[in-house]
Amino acid sequence: MYKTSLHDEHLALGAKMAEFAGFDMPIQYSGVKNEVLAVRNNVGVFDVSHMGEFFVTGNDAVKFVDYIMTNDFANAEIGKAVYSPLCRDDGTVIDDLIAYKLEAEKVLICVNASNIEKDWKWISAKTNGFSIELENHSDDYSLIAVQGPKTEEILTKLGLTSVTGASYYSAYEDKLNGHNLILARTGYTGEDGFEIFGGHDSIKTIWKTLLDLGVTPCGLASRDVLRLEVCYPLYGHELNDEITPLDAALKWTTKMNKESFIAKEALASYEPRFQLVKLSLDKGIPREGYEVLDSENNIIGKVTSGTMSVVLEKGICLALVEKSKVPQNKSFRIQIRKNIIEANFHTKPFISGGHK
Amino acid sequence: MANIPSNLKYTKEHEWAALNDGVVTVGITDFAQSSLGDIVFVELPSIGEEISKDSTFGVVESIKSASDLYSPVTGEVVEINEALTDSPDMLNNSPYDSWMVKIKITDTSEFENLLSDQDYAPLCEE
Repeated sequence: MYKTSLHDEHLALGAKMAEFAGFDMPIQYSGVKNEVLAVRNNVGVFDVSHMGEFFVTGNDAVKFVDYIMTNDFANAEIGKAVYSPLCRDDGTVIDDLIAYKLEAEKVLICVNASNIEKDWKWISAKTNGFSIELENHSDDYSLIAVQGPKTEEILTKLGLTSVTGASYYSAYEDKLNGHNLILARTGYTGEDGFEIFGGHDSIKTIWKTLLDLGVTPCGLASRDVLRLEVCYPLYGHELNDEITPLDAALKWTTKMNKESFIAKEALASYEPRFQLVKLSLDKGIPREGYEVLDSENNIIGKVTSGTMSVVLEKGICLALVEKSKVPQNKSFRIQIRKNIIEANFHTKPFISGGHK
Repeated sequence: MANIPSNLKYTKEHEWAALNDGVVTVGITDFAQSSLGDIVFVELPSIGEEISKDSTFGVVESIKSASDLYSPVTGEVVEINEALTDSPDMLNNSPYDSWMVKIKITDTSEFENLLSDQDYAPLCEE
C-alpha cells in the first residue's frame, strides 16, 4: 500500500487508518463530528497527497486542457482554477478534476487518486497535434487542504501573506522559506480554504506548523460528510464510467458554445437518463445503495452517497433517479432495511457553506 | 485499552450480555463503541419479537456507517431501551450502562456458552 509523506504524522496522532485508492489514509483523528465542526466554524487540515498532479506546459497548454475538459478553460483568467468533468467521446465521465491556470503556458491538473492511471492513459493519448509537454508529477507532490473560516488568518500567521485578497478559485505559485508552493483558494468542504501543493518536506513542515497553531487534523470521513452537506459529487458515487455529466447535475460544467472539445457531439444530442436528487430524512440515515421509491413504492433509483449530517443532525443523501420516473410531486421514499421512509426533497444544497 | 468488565459475557461481534432471572440484557462493548465513533442512530426490535441466536436484532449507526447487531441468545424481546432512540450517544459515553434489549432466554445454556471476559479480550486487540 502507498503512503503519503505525512503517514508517520497520522500514526503519531493516533489516526484511524484505512486503505483508500491504494493509499493508507487517515479516516479520522479526534472524531468525525469534531472534525466537521472544526472546518465549519474554525479551521481544519486534510492530507490529500494521494491525489494526482499532471502538468501541461507549452504553447498549446491552455488550448489542450480546454479541449479535454467539458468546462470552459480557454476563457479563464491566468491565476484561476476551473472544475470540470473529464469525458470520453461518448460523454461518459472518466473523472472530475480541477485545472489551475498558473501561467499562460503552464497548467496544473489535479485528479482523483483512484483515477490517476486511467486519466493519465486517456489524457496522454490525446496530445497529438498540440504543442505541449505533459508530465505526471503525482509522486513528487504532497497536497494539504486547509479549510474553514479561519484559514486566511492561520495561513497569514504561517507567513503566507499572499492569501489575503486572493479570490475564490484563484491559483498561483508562491514561496515559503525558500520552498516553492502552489496555492489555490479551492476545496471540497464548501467553506473558505486553500489547497497547498508542494514538495514532501515543505508540506510536512507546514502540516506540523499548522497543528502547532491549533489547526484540527481532519480525516477522509469528515471530508466526505462536509462535501455531502454541500452536495459536491464524488467520483465512483455520483459520477462513474456509465453516465454523463448531464445525468449528475453537472450541466453547468458542459459549455456547449465552446468551439470543440471531446464529447461535444455526444453531449449535444444526449438525453439524460438520470437525475441527481438531494434528499433528507427526519428519521434514519440513508446509505449508499439504498433504494429510492416513489409514493407507490416503485423502485426509481439508488442512493449514491448518504450520511448523517453533523450540522443538520439529520440523514442526508444524493441519489441517482431514473429521469423518466421522477415523480411530478417530488414525493420520494427511501427503503432502509424493512422500513420505507418518506424523504424530504431539496432543491438547494443541505447547507450553503461559507466559501468566498 | 478497552474496558471489559469481568461480570459480563461477550460475543465475537462485540456485544455484551448479562443474565438475571431468565432474562438476558444485551448491549455493545466499549471496544465496539470506540471503533464505531460518534453513534448517531439506533434501531431496536419491537417488544414481543422472537429473535434467534446470531440473527440481527437491530442496527447501530455512526455518522459514516451502519452496523448490524447480532443476538447472543434465542428468545423473546421483553424490553427495549427507548432512551437510546433519543440519545444514541449514551452508547459512547457509558456502553455498559446503555443496554439495548432484554431477551427472555429460551435455553440458558446458550448464555453459558458465550465468551468470558478473558476469551473476549484478545478480540479487542487492534
